[in-house]
Amino acid sequence: MADKTNTIFRALDRKASAITEFTMRQYRTKISTWVVLITGLVIISLLMMFYIDAMQRDFESVDNDGDSIDSDGDSYPDGQERLYGTNPFSELSNPGFFQPPIPPDDPSVWVDEDDFDWNESPTGTRSVSVGYDDDGDCRTEDRTSSQKDTNDNGIECDIELSLSLTGEFMYDADNLVDEDPDDEAYAKEALHRASILGIGKLGFVFIISIFIPLFMATGLIRDEMNSGTMHYMLTKPIARTEVFFYRVIGYLGIVWPYLIILTLISAVVTGFAGPGDSLFRFAEFGIWLAILFAAMMATLVYGMLFCFLGVMWRYGIVLAIPFAAWELGMALLSMGVPDAPILRFSVIGWALIIVDSASLIVWPDMALLIYSGLSVEGTDALGFESEELIGSEPLQYFYANPGLGNISPFLSMIIATVVLLIQAIALLFVGGAIFKGKEIE
Amino acid sequence: MNEQIDSPEQNPPEDLSFSEHAPVTGQGRMDAAWGSKDGDEFTTAQITNNTASVGYVFEQIYKPWNGPLNPRWMRNWAILRHHVLGIFRKGHRPWSLPTKLFIVIVFIASLGDVGLTLLSALIGSPALHTMWGVNRDNLYGHVLGFFPRNMLYYPILAALLVGGIISEDRYHGTSALYFSRPISRFDYVMMKYISVAIIQAFVVLLTLMIYYFVEILAMGRGWAWIIDTFPLFLAAFGGGIILIITYTSIGLGLSSVSKGKFFPGIGLVAIVLGTKTLAVLVSNLFERDVMYLLSPYDCLAHVGQALVGTQPTYDQYSWTWSLASLVLMNAFFLYILSSRVASMEVTRE
Amino acid sequence: MMPDFHQEGQAETTQWQPEQKAPVILLENVSKTYGKIHALSGVTLALSGGVTGILGLNGAGKSTLFKILMGKIKPSAGQVRLFGTNPWKNPAPYARVGFVPEGEKMHDWMTAHDFISTFARLNGLTRDAAKTEADRVLDFVGLLDVAHKQIGRFSKGMRQRTKIAHALVCDPELIILDEPLQGCDPLARTTIMNVIRELGRMGRTVIVSSHILTEIERITEQIVILHHGRLLALGNLHAIREKMDNIPHRIDIGCQSPKELAKSVIDIASVHGISFQDPEKLTVQTRNLGDFHSHLPKIIIDGGHKVDSIDNPDDDLASILGYLTGGGGM
Repeated sequence: MADKTNTIFRALDRKASAITEFTMRQYRTKISTWVVLITGLVIISLLMMFYIDAMQRDFESVDNDGDSIDSDGDSYPDGQERLYGTNPFSELSNPGFFQPPIPPDDPSVWVDEDDFDWNESPTGTRSVSVGYDDDGDCRTEDRTSSQKDTNDNGIECDIELSLSLTGEFMYDADNLVDEDPDDEAYAKEALHRASILGIGKLGFVFIISIFIPLFMATGLIRDEMNSGTMHYMLTKPIARTEVFFYRVIGYLGIVWPYLIILTLISAVVTGFAGPGDSLFRFAEFGIWLAILFAAMMATLVYGMLFCFLGVMWRYGIVLAIPFAAWELGMALLSMGVPDAPILRFSVIGWALIIVDSASLIVWPDMALLIYSGLSVEGTDALGFESEELIGSEPLQYFYANPGLGNISPFLSMIIATVVLLIQAIALLFVGGAIFKGKEIE
Repeated sequence: MNEQIDSPEQNPPEDLSFSEHAPVTGQGRMDAAWGSKDGDEFTTAQITNNTASVGYVFEQIYKPWNGPLNPRWMRNWAILRHHVLGIFRKGHRPWSLPTKLFIVIVFIASLGDVGLTLLSALIGSPALHTMWGVNRDNLYGHVLGFFPRNMLYYPILAALLVGGIISEDRYHGTSALYFSRPISRFDYVMMKYISVAIIQAFVVLLTLMIYYFVEILAMGRGWAWIIDTFPLFLAAFGGGIILIITYTSIGLGLSSVSKGKFFPGIGLVAIVLGTKTLAVLVSNLFERDVMYLLSPYDCLAHVGQALVGTQPTYDQYSWTWSLASLVLMNAFFLYILSSRVASMEVTRE
Repeated sequence: MMPDFHQEGQAETTQWQPEQKAPVILLENVSKTYGKIHALSGVTLALSGGVTGILGLNGAGKSTLFKILMGKIKPSAGQVRLFGTNPWKNPAPYARVGFVPEGEKMHDWMTAHDFISTFARLNGLTRDAAKTEADRVLDFVGLLDVAHKQIGRFSKGMRQRTKIAHALVCDPELIILDEPLQGCDPLARTTIMNVIRELGRMGRTVIVSSHILTEIERITEQIVILHHGRLLALGNLHAIREKMDNIPHRIDIGCQSPKELAKSVIDIASVHGISFQDPEKLTVQTRNLGDFHSHLPKIIIDGGHKVDSIDNPDDDLASILGYLTGGGGM
């Protein structure tokens, strides 16, 4: 098959592979490439070390409902007295007077006596019934049905969750259900998720994906235009747009494998060190894939952009550096206000949509987890004040809904990808056209 | 066809087949060049009339120089002047136009609080004055506030200034011009350092002074107020000096190790903004403030908070740690700078 | 004859067909201005075949001319055609052109063989074909034994030869060399000049620029003289010289008694000036070289003068350039 299109394609292919290969080998000989890539690796390793340290830490269990206190000083914790129906505020009323007498529990039994077992999120206006009274203080037989169903939803000892019209969680629990969740379990799970999101969004998609293109792509063509070595390439029968494109491909040939390696390391570390019964958290490969994909798209667009700025102007860096600062502002903004319209004018705003959408797919109970951690804060029915659970605040900070409104996460992921690709293609054409019109001294 | 081209005065030869503006028209077919024939049998040529008027020999008389050689500081002053005046005038170091433009923009943007102080004095709005007038927090914020000053203004200004300050000299071979004079390398680098610092001081410290004096003038402040607030002003001024020194040290250190123009600028911004982002990430996720010690901006802010006496935002360790970290950062980059300069080969790279 | 001035196309060699009748190089009234500086003004030139030397002082516009020819910069006015195609819009003719840029910057980290074979692939060669081609051109410039050393370790002459080898890939019909002899030692110069002469002998169109005058003389007699962006002269070196009739030729005659000889020489009609710059040398100025040379032998024999040498110092590029630019050839 040696027809014409075939040979043209093969000739183009030869040029593409030659320039791509040349660019990759050129990067390999520059010290700055290695400095930058190793610095990126050090940053991610540092973050992973902090993460492992957090996962190994013992989180102090907090008595969130105050029932480990022995209010009347009879050595029976309030929770145990309540379970057996004695008066926790009277010394003369405690399970020790039962026949046979029941020995007092250690107060620590009444810390974290309820696990966290909400497994469903309400969707739309439908409310769901979640929660299981692990310690049995609600289900105890001497309580009446109305005592067991204080939220009047017809199910005893449950929590009724619903979404308000504004998208806020409404929480209505029967008394004594999940009143003291396991702090350590919650903190580890929340910190684990927050770490993946935080490291993924700020570490990978911002720090790595913006500074590596800044260092590596700004001079991709400009350096050679300045030094005069571009002459060797441009005296060959090749269009300048092709040169621009193949140079960027060569840059991606270094950066994308590097990102894949970094993500793989991070995924393996968080998979093994993360909390849970299983040895490895396979389910979270999805979120790491999304982070990798977002970082790849970001490095593509930034690479095209910075290369284009370098071609356009001898002082392209003057435009590139303020742009990087702008992107940092947008990254921080997207954590708080993910649907701000101004984010649509940034690259990172779109790239983070991919991560946020994936986190919604991988962890559908995310909003609930944050809410349950935060909802512990406040004063309960018995007048006990407690703080929100450790880990809920970082998780709230780093988690954001995909900012494209109420559409399915898959759809918003596809939209964000398409937008980023359009940005890249537009930059390719603009950059190629500018390069074509440049006089090379 | 092309008006802007000087049309030559020469009369073209008669056998012309191209444009009449061309002094010489040539259509030659030189099938056999040197080697096969000796060229004499093929003798056609076209020349112009002899009208160009260049090239004459002039008499050269060497006059020996016997003036006094000025002391070292005089030569250093010349280098400093050459760099700093380049911002304002032609004929000195050519800073790039965007750098000059950025300095003007940042200078004006840094005067934002001055304008609002004036406005509050004019319309007599105490609420506006509380927000923007001189007080402890605002003096700190003028120099060390993160957004927008230490995110968009000062590090980027420093990055643009140090971008090519040493590397460009090396690239173009102009450093050889300095070193062919009786100037030591350290004087050369010291003057570059000071001139970059002065240009930054022009933006950071001058606007701070303007801010303070505008407050005195616009609000009619008396001695009592001045005695109360002058230490705060001095503390903010000191914080500004440390900021300038730190950014300049890092920037010049990077500039001395690299050949290009891009690397030092991007490196400085990456160090300032990158470590800041990293520290925020670690602090938010793991409640560890230790990464702030690696961030130049946060160390500066911590020391500045201690100097000015505002509410500290870093509460896991004492500000002296930040100061020590700043000293270490400066020492490290100054060491790189001096060792690179001492071993620098004066060649065109 | 006139090529299609509106031909545009893609950088695809298989689709591009060169204009067969057009000259290899055709510049019509080409000008290039940088602000107020005229790098080239109104240059018109057509060349095909042979070795041509482009001469000019620094800043005469030689490199600008080449960059315009290679589509690196855009002419401010005028038409440029390379094989009948506008090189600014269409890179296709580069398949038949080799260009040696000025300057020393090269990809120092590559070996000569890598450098040439990598860039040969941009001509559309396969990897293996490119390697074979690199061997061939490196052999031609005599660098095959150091082909696998890094260019960064090469001497200036070797670097220039590497650049020439790079330009020779795929056997181009037109080779443009911008200052190929600059900064080379005598041995390297001789080697490079031999390479250029050999290319000319093989029938390629070769264009060499230089301000080193004697070397150009040794390479070619077809020259183009540029000065301040204008074309001053074009053609055979000797023919140019003879055309400048109104300009006196200078002849140095080394002899033991110059004053005696002068008395006889002054009688020749075409001689209009005599001077003694040296105790043993007579300098004669004439307006007609042929006439003078026809009389000289008779005078020498008749007068019995002892003549050591007869030198014609003006008949080189330096003096032509001097005369043409009004410097008087001194």
